[in-house]
Amino acid sequence: MMIDVIFIALAFLAISGAIAMITYANPMYSALGVLISMLSVAGMFALLNATFLFLVQIIVYAGAIMTLILFILMFLNIKEEDLPKEPKKFQLIAFGAIIMIPLNILILKAVAKLPEKDFSISNSNFGDIKPIGIQLYNNWLLAFELVSILLLVALIGAVVLAKKRNSKIRNAGDKS
Amino acid sequence: MISLTSYAFVAMMLFSIGAIGVIARRNIFVIYMSIEMMLNGINLFLVTFARYHFNMDPQVITIMVIAIAAAEAAIFLSVIILLYRSRKSLDTDIFNTLKQGEKS
Repeated sequence: MMIDVIFIALAFLAISGAIAMITYANPMYSALGVLISMLSVAGMFALLNATFLFLVQIIVYAGAIMTLILFILMFLNIKEEDLPKEPKKFQLIAFGAIIMIPLNILILKAVAKLPEKDFSISNSNFGDIKPIGIQLYNNWLLAFELVSILLLVALIGAVVLAKKRNSKIRNAGDKS
Repeated sequence: MISLTSYAFVAMMLFSIGAIGVIARRNIFVIYMSIEMMLNGINLFLVTFARYHFNMDPQVITIMVIAIAAAEAAIFLSVIILLYRSRKSLDTDIFNTLKQGEKS
């Protein structure tokens, strides 16, 4: 019963945060909505017995990625008049909703046909860091190494992009 | 009362709202955050089915998705800074340097 109440609260917060993201014109409020939504999804991970992912979601998504976005939003010092004008925003949101509704109905019907199972929190070590690490280093070793190379490439790419800022790109921008 | 369908409903709502944000908004930050929201919805779906089948593999895939999202964040945000410095705008419609035909 307690878990039901927690789940409903988390679902409400996650969906309302996402709706706040697409309706607010100011990207700062959008980022705060996304933050609320991501923390709620982390809570759902905890309800689903994924304790390690709960920590990773809070540290990496809410802690690192959203903080980076908020930092860059403040760093760029965006004024109200720099924001793009979006006069047809709500028509386009309604149009997108019409496109997405059939997909939702299809997937929810398919999922509802599956047999029900118990979703209560179990006492086994399912989702702890140790079984995940064993899986990661045994069955997913190649993918793990490829992701490490990807992170290295992203690091180098970010440094290279930040370095070119003063010479080429700004001149190209001035000419146009 | 909590079932597979309720988690799937939340995951699909997050994914759909992310897709609607990519379709409807023109602010490039909001588009980026919409992409993150879609990834979050997919992560929730994966973890739900990990619990459903009591299998650890989807959680490992979720860790991979989070790592790739972090790499994407670094590249995407540095590209946004470069575009904002050169064009002084966050509107996606003016980023048309690769457009064919008439010059911008």
